[in-house]
Amino acid sequence: MINLKSAPLRRWRQLASAWLALIAIAAVFPAAAQSDGDAAVLERRVKATFLYKFLSYVEWPENALPKPNTPFTIAVIGDDALAAELAEFAGGRATEGRSVVVRKVNDPGEAASAHILFVARGENPRLSQLVKATQSKPVLIVTESDGALASGSMINFVVSGGRVRFEISVDAADRRQLKLSSRLLTVALNVRVGTP
Amino acid sequence: MAALSLFTSWAACAADPKVRDLADLSLEQLSNIEVTSVSRRAERLQDAAASIFVITADDIRRSGVSSLPEALRLAPNLQVARVSANSYAISARGFNNAIGNKLLVLIDGRTVYTPLFSGVFWDSQDVMLEDVERIEVISGPGATLWGANAVNGVINVITRPAGETQGTLLAAGGGNQTKGGAARYGGEMSSGGHYRVYGQYFDRANTEHANGTSVFDDWNSGRIGFRADWGGTARGFTMQGDAYRGELDQALPGTQRISGVNLLARWNRQLAENSSVRVQAYYDRTERTQPGAFAEHLDIFDLEFQHALRPAASHHLLWGGGYRYAFDRVDNSAALAFLPADRNLRWANVFVQDEIALAPNLDLTLGVKAESNVYTGVEWLPNARLAWKAAANHLLWGSVSRAARAPSRLDRDLFSPAKPPFLLAGGPNFQSEVSKVFELGYRSQPMSAVSYSITAFHHIYDRLRSLEPAPGGGLVIDNKIDGTGNGVEAWGSYQATQAWRLSAGLLELRQRLALRSDSLSTQGVAAEGNDPKHQWMLRSSLNLGRAYELDMTVRHVSALPSPLVPAYTAFDARLGWRVSRDLELSLTGQNLFGPAHIEFGNPATASLVERSVFLKALWRM
Repeated sequence: MINLKSAPLRRWRQLASAWLALIAIAAVFPAAAQSDGDAAVLERRVKATFLYKFLSYVEWPENALPKPNTPFTIAVIGDDALAAELAEFAGGRATEGRSVVVRKVNDPGEAASAHILFVARGENPRLSQLVKATQSKPVLIVTESDGALASGSMINFVVSGGRVRFEISVDAADRRQLKLSSRLLTVALNVRVGTP
Repeated sequence: MAALSLFTSWAACAADPKVRDLADLSLEQLSNIEVTSVSRRAERLQDAAASIFVITADDIRRSGVSSLPEALRLAPNLQVARVSANSYAISARGFNNAIGNKLLVLIDGRTVYTPLFSGVFWDSQDVMLEDVERIEVISGPGATLWGANAVNGVINVITRPAGETQGTLLAAGGGNQTKGGAARYGGEMSSGGHYRVYGQYFDRANTEHANGTSVFDDWNSGRIGFRADWGGTARGFTMQGDAYRGELDQALPGTQRISGVNLLARWNRQLAENSSVRVQAYYDRTERTQPGAFAEHLDIFDLEFQHALRPAASHHLLWGGGYRYAFDRVDNSAALAFLPADRNLRWANVFVQDEIALAPNLDLTLGVKAESNVYTGVEWLPNARLAWKAAANHLLWGSVSRAARAPSRLDRDLFSPAKPPFLLAGGPNFQSEVSKVFELGYRSQPMSAVSYSITAFHHIYDRLRSLEPAPGGGLVIDNKIDGTGNGVEAWGSYQATQAWRLSAGLLELRQRLALRSDSLSTQGVAAEGNDPKHQWMLRSSLNLGRAYELDMTVRHVSALPSPLVPAYTAFDARLGWRVSRDLELSLTGQNLFGPAHIEFGNPATASLVERSVFLKALWRM
């Protein structure tokens, strides 16, 4: 017996009107100032922590850190909440003997001077543009979008088995004279070698 | 909500971890923090458009409970009532009954309800609680993913992978009602996988009637099992199995015996970046001999397949199917018979569900399952869910679903006595009970220390089971009750200080059931279930220094209407002492204050739930 067919039309009208009511409720609900896509709080914080930790597992060329007191700069594009939490933690803290500056950026030009550029999922459509804008610069580009390694990202976060993991493109890092430590490669979910 | 559920595999942190807490972890530890609930598709719990409560391993440990049904009391969206020493009535959103039939229960992916009455024999289902990773309790329908029977709720008991239960664990405890022990050993295989083996045994004492006489319901049960895991999420294989045996006293004419064995294999593989498959197969045998009533030997074979993929950036598609075959063999008694005594049952299903990102903060999930059974053919189980992430920690969701409770042997094949004239006869035309459900929920974590969830629901029930007068006398099972169930489920938690967490839960339920106008029943609607209008609980979890933990719970359940069971309030507490890194002692008291009370059944014949104390030692080596 196929119940769907025998169910009176009235019931489906009920379903439809319930949906309309839901959509109406959703429409009048006060929209929040900003949305951070669908990154959950803990996931975001784990990613923020990884970004900070990467500073210790990547070697930048000398010209990227000309002075002993040149601070590390982490630029974040598209995730203000992550930038704020990372800034709150890293502000005034030193790692590898250098202080850490966290900047929210929007303009690709601003990103070129950063040591790490994190491109949030919502900004992934601009990834190719950002890669191009920073092309000759030793910027470690970190993303959280499927397939981003193919577009020039060096480290891409993936949620796998309920955990935040990352995949690495060694060649993309090489092209920017960034040396990734073997520890980093060991922890990575997978390491891509060879030109994408 | 989030604070309650996020830290399932990361016991190191009691409070909500900030970046500064996480920064002390190594790269490896960071990549081992679980940030999602792995439901059918891994899904962030905060984003799930459903009323989900997660009981964590830590919640279970700190509650001091020693059985699975008692652990389920931790979920504010469940109704748990102890019927006797060996029997529980457990339900969500009403219809609570010792033979309740609208809740689907799974243990590590294995459906544990019996096709005999579409419910769970709670005396047969158990796990070693120390190895449980979490219990996901979904109130409301889950039929599209889980199939017929997931009408009012789904309980997913999930044990830890073998790799997370390495080494030796010994637990032993005793008290005025329960004595028992458990042992587990986990190791690594040369092939790279991990395994564990465990065994446990307990003995529970008789309860008493209100007049002081014994109910004769003492029982004991022993269980052994194993689990082995190879690989991980990209390519993994799991095998697990359990065997158990139990003896349950009953007044007369003799001891009930239960036993069973199950073996499950699960294989998962990542096919491409956005595509993964999972295949699972299991065999489950249960035996039950109840002198004076019936004996049953049931063999179930179950196979299921699912494929998750992303055909486009904004679509998460999940589809799959399953097939289940059961050989049910019943030895009838003079008083009770399933006719035919032997029946082979088959279920087959296919489902598809698409989660569509309409906007970065708006997800629409559409899904449908078609499931066939031998009694009514195909049931269609559709659902639509909309989740709007108003801001980072605020989720508003709504859903519309149709769920069905397919006939069980009890509805179609039960006769009493075994030979005509029957006083009670199975309904030859009994159809599926159907529920249409509308839900609206809001989940929020307005600040890191506070989280809460509120869900309002409206269920419309059609064709519920009724007892009609049979033409030749006696009663016949039919579908002539309709009704509605409305209510609210709410819970929240507040991390008052690093060491002190408060949590609360509330359930309000208003059910209106009525016989259809063409019903001639004189039995009314009382057999559907016996539910409270309100239920609430408050919990306090306090760490006293590094070595001591004090947990207290107050639970209140309002009166049940028919038969009338008075309201009760129970107070439970546990004091835990971490003597050393390897040894933990705890003292748990349940129903510490107030008189003994009954929780379910006819007050004259029901079991009293009395004060109990339990001292437990736990060694990890």
